[in-house]
Amino acid sequence: MNNRSNLVALWTGSLLFIGVLFYWPLGKIVAMGLHGDWLLAISTPRVLSVLWFTIWQAVLSALLTLALGIPGAYLLYNKKFPGQRFIRAFITVPFILPTIVVAIGFTSLRQLPLLSDLLYGRSLVPAIICAHIFMNYSIIVHIVGGAWATLDPSTESAAALDGAGRFRTLWSITLPQLKSAVISATALVFLYCTTSFGIILVLGGGIVNSIETEIFIAATEYLDLPKTSGLALIQTALTIIVFIVAQRVVRNSAMLEEVQAATSRFRVDRRDWPAVLLTGFLLLFLIILPIATVFVQAFTHGNIFSLVNFTNLSGNGARDLLNITVSHAARNTVRNMAISSALTLIIGLTVLFLLTRRTRKRNIYIFQRVTDILFQLPLGVSSVVLGFGYLISFSGGPLPLRSSWLVTPLVQSLLAIPLVIRFIHPALQAIDSELRDAAETDAATTSQIWWLIEVPIIRGVIATAAAYTAIISIGEFGAASFLAYGDQGTLPTVLYQLIARPGDQNYGMAMAASAILITIAFLLVYLVTLSNSPRRLARP
Amino acid sequence: MQIFNRKRVTKVLIANIVTSAILAIAIVAFPSALTKASAQEIPKEVSLVTHDSFVMKKSLVAHFNRTTGYRLNLIKAGSAGGLTNRLILTKGVPIADAVFGIDNTFAGLATSNDLIDGSLTAINFGDVCFNYDKFWFANRKIAPPTSVKQLIEPAYKGLTVLGNPNTSSPALSFLAASVEIFGESGWQSYWKSLKNNGVKIVRGWSAAYFIDFSGSSGKGAYPIVLSYASSPAAEVRRATGKSQTASIMDGCFRQTEYAGVLKGAKNPLGAAAVVTYLLSSKFQSSLPQAMYMYPIVKDTPLPRRWKKFATLATQTYGDTLDINTNRKSWLTQWNAIFN
Repeated sequence: MNNRSNLVALWTGSLLFIGVLFYWPLGKIVAMGLHGDWLLAISTPRVLSVLWFTIWQAVLSALLTLALGIPGAYLLYNKKFPGQRFIRAFITVPFILPTIVVAIGFTSLRQLPLLSDLLYGRSLVPAIICAHIFMNYSIIVHIVGGAWATLDPSTESAAALDGAGRFRTLWSITLPQLKSAVISATALVFLYCTTSFGIILVLGGGIVNSIETEIFIAATEYLDLPKTSGLALIQTALTIIVFIVAQRVVRNSAMLEEVQAATSRFRVDRRDWPAVLLTGFLLLFLIILPIATVFVQAFTHGNIFSLVNFTNLSGNGARDLLNITVSHAARNTVRNMAISSALTLIIGLTVLFLLTRRTRKRNIYIFQRVTDILFQLPLGVSSVVLGFGYLISFSGGPLPLRSSWLVTPLVQSLLAIPLVIRFIHPALQAIDSELRDAAETDAATTSQIWWLIEVPIIRGVIATAAAYTAIISIGEFGAASFLAYGDQGTLPTVLYQLIARPGDQNYGMAMAASAILITIAFLLVYLVTLSNSPRRLARP
Repeated sequence: MQIFNRKRVTKVLIANIVTSAILAIAIVAFPSALTKASAQEIPKEVSLVTHDSFVMKKSLVAHFNRTTGYRLNLIKAGSAGGLTNRLILTKGVPIADAVFGIDNTFAGLATSNDLIDGSLTAINFGDVCFNYDKFWFANRKIAPPTSVKQLIEPAYKGLTVLGNPNTSSPALSFLAASVEIFGESGWQSYWKSLKNNGVKIVRGWSAAYFIDFSGSSGKGAYPIVLSYASSPAAEVRRATGKSQTASIMDGCFRQTEYAGVLKGAKNPLGAAAVVTYLLSSKFQSSLPQAMYMYPIVKDTPLPRRWKKFATLATQTYGDTLDINTNRKSWLTQWNAIFN
């Protein structure tokens, strides 16, 4: 086969992949949504109130996370104190936890008398907001802090010398300089909170609903497909709008690389006490406490220390609630992770290879841009929406994928591919073109250049991308809740069943499994921190 | 700059081989995973999809396997409603061969969607009634309610918990019963009064019964719960030989649960054997213990304490209602009251 037909095969393969596995189900949703009386179905007071709740809780979550995150960013990036690196790594753990584990962490706080009243007493919303802050705190701290550390400290010192207090310096000198980092980080948190599914499903208990949970309920409990499709379209429009806005702003901000230990950073002094107090309080009550409570309850059975909850994980729960044991679900999750990561890297790298071919032909260039956009759009589609699309597209017909176990890893890789492309693309573009030219002069073929020069140079980035693909696959709950049932349950779906059902045994098992997942997340963050190449954790 | 050093080439070669191996596996696994389902021999495996509250003891599964030669695989798929909807969404390539747990509030939906090969077979029944915690009322010297109409009285303010009829089939049953008791125009105001009287709505029956109800193992704060007339038999205390709870024998709804062979089943013969087994005396007599439901087959022996603590209601509601046609409109109106 010559080079040209190889290329044609690669193009066809990638476009066929995204076309069949993403645009077909999406088209099904659009067709179904716009076919019936969808406008009527989604303009009911209930849907409007759900839409309104989705937006305001996301705004509130994002603003609160920002307000609490700025002092954290200041202390952790602009100041110097022992244990700083550890705390920076530590706050990343909640971010990479599966959302269902976060929900279980905040469910565990129900057992604490005073906190339970605060979080769950009058309304379930405080618990949801706190869980969102827990998850997204590190986004604000890392992005804003990363930008903060690159600022020239002399302006701040000058202002301080002129007698400006910390708050005034912050408000009129520092924040304006951090504007783009602040906006992009907040937009990102907002995006995560509008697509929050597991947390609202568990903590909202079917009473407080967002668009995502309403999609799930409309599909599985009311079987109202026009309404589900209409909601899915609203949700997709909302995420795409937020995404584009965030994108606009991010383009202006600098690359957010982890800063090297700056030489000119000051020690924490007495005037920092409001920031220290606030951050300490937040770390203690919002981050350490839920994690600690999960561990305590995991090791407790009938009020005494016990490992029963862990040994129960090899069983099916009280009254045989689960179709499979938790350890079986863990095996499914690992298998899905392996398949979806491999698939994501293969497709992602193929597309990147095609996108970065230099060409003088105008139509090939246009083709590349179109492909780029085609592979970006899945970013705007939540996993719940995609899971629903698969359910209605692949349940019968020419491709009855739904009844195959491959369906879950496939969906997960579709959710990860756009992220991997976005993540690796800049690194590829940053490769010095002289290297390629030199190789071409030496008569290297395109694929030789790709495999021998470009891929090795960016292998660090590829490894990080692979890690994120794995994290996405492990924690993915929205699509799996539609598609993975019976003996195909994954850890998140099984954990959801356990926590949604009463009974000490199920509850204890949920705590034990969560404790294990939290430990794994800790180890992962620890390993990444250990590897001395300082790299930022990208956001899945 | 030396680009093509040998070490690197080997490394890249290995990477290439690994990637192509994964690709090859994916390509091979993909169609075979798809066709595995259609590989036709005489199927030994038979699967039964049920709601989450289904219990079939391991010894019974083994007995079924031994006597029929099939291998029974149980799949739980949510509440009765969630189960029915999932079957509708996956119609054509069903997720199992047979189904158990579609009740009379959803049977119409199942038949109108043509889910069942043949007809639904009734397996068990029970009366959905309110239960109350006798100890709680005795300790406070308050007379327990004897009618659902009393639940809106100030004396019982903030004492009642029940599931959300959107997600809980006993709650949907009571919603239907309330329509029959109070009439098409009166039931809404009954529920409004319930809401104003501090009724607590939770996701499902099990959450209401096991967490919020004071008379169960959960020792919650609510002494009145929507459950079954047979539930008090599960709360007999060893010390006294008496049940801690009793049923309000008013406003009860008779719930019947059905089984059937799913259309498009891979193993229709096996599925029929499962349905037959669910009617066998061995399975029928396990029903009271396992699921707190009455066996549909007459003269099936009942546990001794059932005679005392699990009496059926003398009058039940719901038989005359067209639940299938009205479900959506009832739920929409209910949601308007509670949201």
